[in-house]
Amino acid sequence: MRSLSYCLSLLLAAAAQASSLSIQNGRVTVSSSDATQLSSEQLSLDPGSLPSLSLGPTDTLKLTFQVVEKDGGKGVQPHQTFLRFEADGEEGVQPVRVTSGGKAKFELDGPKVDLGVVLRRPNHMFRDWRFQDILNNMARPPVSLPPTSTSPVKVSLLLGSYKHSPASLDLFTVSVPASVPAPADPFAPLPEITHTFRPEQKVPPKFISAVFSAIVLAPWVVLLGLWSTLRYSVPHLFSPHVIPFVSSLAAFEGLLLWYWIDLKLGQVLLYGALLGMVTLLTGKQALGAAGDWRVGKKQS
Amino acid sequence: MFRIWRVLLLVLSLAILSYARSSTGSSVLVVLDPSLSKDNYSIFFKGLEEQGYELTFRAPKDVAPAIIQDGIASFAHVILFTPETKTYAKDITPQSLVDLLSQNTNVILALGSKQTPLTSLASEFSLILPPPGTPLISHFPERDTPATVIPIPVSSSSPALTSGLAPVWYSGIPFALGNNPLLVPFLNAPAESFAADTTEDSGADALVDAAEKGGEGLWAGKDMSVVTGFQTVDGGRVLFVGGVELFNDEFAKKEVTKGVRSGNAQFAREMAAWTFQESLVLRIDDSAHHKVNETEPRDKYTTNDRIVYTTHISKYNPATNAWEPFSGLTDVQLEFTMLDPHIRTALPPVPSKPGEYSVTFRVPDRHGVFKFVVDYKRKGWTHLHSSTTVPVVPPRHDEYPRFLSAAWPYYVGAISTSAGFVLFSVLWLAGDDRDQRKKKGVKAE
Repeated sequence: MRSLSYCLSLLLAAAAQASSLSIQNGRVTVSSSDATQLSSEQLSLDPGSLPSLSLGPTDTLKLTFQVVEKDGGKGVQPHQTFLRFEADGEEGVQPVRVTSGGKAKFELDGPKVDLGVVLRRPNHMFRDWRFQDILNNMARPPVSLPPTSTSPVKVSLLLGSYKHSPASLDLFTVSVPASVPAPADPFAPLPEITHTFRPEQKVPPKFISAVFSAIVLAPWVVLLGLWSTLRYSVPHLFSPHVIPFVSSLAAFEGLLLWYWIDLKLGQVLLYGALLGMVTLLTGKQALGAAGDWRVGKKQS
Repeated sequence: MFRIWRVLLLVLSLAILSYARSSTGSSVLVVLDPSLSKDNYSIFFKGLEEQGYELTFRAPKDVAPAIIQDGIASFAHVILFTPETKTYAKDITPQSLVDLLSQNTNVILALGSKQTPLTSLASEFSLILPPPGTPLISHFPERDTPATVIPIPVSSSSPALTSGLAPVWYSGIPFALGNNPLLVPFLNAPAESFAADTTEDSGADALVDAAEKGGEGLWAGKDMSVVTGFQTVDGGRVLFVGGVELFNDEFAKKEVTKGVRSGNAQFAREMAAWTFQESLVLRIDDSAHHKVNETEPRDKYTTNDRIVYTTHISKYNPATNAWEPFSGLTDVQLEFTMLDPHIRTALPPVPSKPGEYSVTFRVPDRHGVFKFVVDYKRKGWTHLHSSTTVPVVPPRHDEYPRFLSAAWPYYVGAISTSAGFVLFSVLWLAGDDRDQRKKKGVKAE
């Protein structure tokens, strides 16, 4: 058993050493829709100077080559003859038909319609993955051109065989019009959202407010001015009957101001009731006293 | 005597240390196809047992132990190494496996190139399998193994895998992945590989036919996956492996290049760790909110308040079998939503406090029932979701500013009226014009 596997590995190694694969007579041409040849390049396989082509929406790319053994130049048909298209980490794989003599021909029509959509993902349009689950039974894996952006597509050739050692050859680069981008990761962080707040309320200049406040106060000037022409005496101003009533009235005004600034309704009613009783008593006394003065009773 | 005790204590502590296991339980059911020998997978199974898992083996057609008893999963994890089995005992059906996953049980599934109930289950999870009988083939790189035994470099950037893992020997089928965001690809096929059923160079035309219109398609290139996880919405994890040989001892011991052992053993262990919810397992411990300069949460907030939202996130540490505060997430986002998010902002970790994530923001000037929503979904990680409802109300009648400069004339008017009333009362009560009236009366007389 062991000797058999040893022999096998020897055989494999021998096969590997026997010949590796390469291509010859490689030529790539780009022709427009009316069959005029736009560019034609001989494939040199020199990694330093890869031809770069450009493929318009209505152009056709034609690639011909012959797969040969590296030494001997005999044409062979390998198991794997794949063109690999690569751009921005996305790839597409397209097998090429090779005759038993090793001759191969490949044609690629320019992206008339969006190649990224049509070729790469047969069910790309069904973004909703639950829907896609239903379609899975008829789903096919992606093929051919990857979704492209502005960077050119690198085209390389993969040759693999059971009899020869494999080879990966860079052929050329081709610029194609940008296609629909590959679907983004749905679990990536989402863009930030900020709330647009209503603008701050506009307030007129304080100067204008001050002027109008002054206008409101102006009647006082008139009142005091006219009053000064009257000779009106207040003999009972400091009478103990009047002061308590007047100050409780003033306290009422103060309570209302306090209510406006800070107090709650219940507190106002409580304080107001207490103050009201005081005002009632002081008012009765003050009015009684005033009545006495008016009728001329000498009391104070 | 003393020494023996010491050694015993050491062994005991080591045993406790190495007795690290999954966050969901340690019982594992291994359903092993009779054609596979337990001894061929000893490295993988021994590794699990050393970690503290209790393995129970059974053949697919055995009746006991059942994977679901009376509607409740009997095991915390299930391994199905049955790539070729077509008939199972009554309790193993695709539906029962889905039930397991919805009960937060984790499953490792090995697929094969034959059409089995498992392959039809895989397509329910958005895996697109190649036609039966087409294994993955690669002629690259040149090597002495058959074309179906392929060394695959581990290039996944998933944090579930340690970087710098040696290439993994693989033999099995590839699968294309649908657009399902819950899929977590771990190991992709090499760019040069493809699925084919031919073993001769003359099969080349079949490959071209398959890729052409009307063919079944060509499974080729690096977009194909060979090991892919799937995390359900409820948190259960399932791992699809295209070939059971990935876990066996032969591949684990096989050298990739001279002197370098393959990464199979470690890759298999890390894949099991992910599937059995040891790695990349997170949870939200709590979340809280309060106004700036306060500490207690309010039962409602006013528009334009500045509020602080804080959450604590823990990560499961299988080495200590404990949840530990975790500050390593840099892309958590907080949404403040009423039907739609009104605010979406980053929720960054607080540098000095492990596991704490906090953000301060201004409540929008829209009133209604809002929600603080943290919805963290990243490939491979446990999905985190937290939602706290809080009403936002407009300011109360007494919460508006009292003195606006624009209203000065009104304030002045009201105050001057009050002052006028008091002044009038004083004049009327304290004034006395009796002398003047007397004088007038005298004149009249």
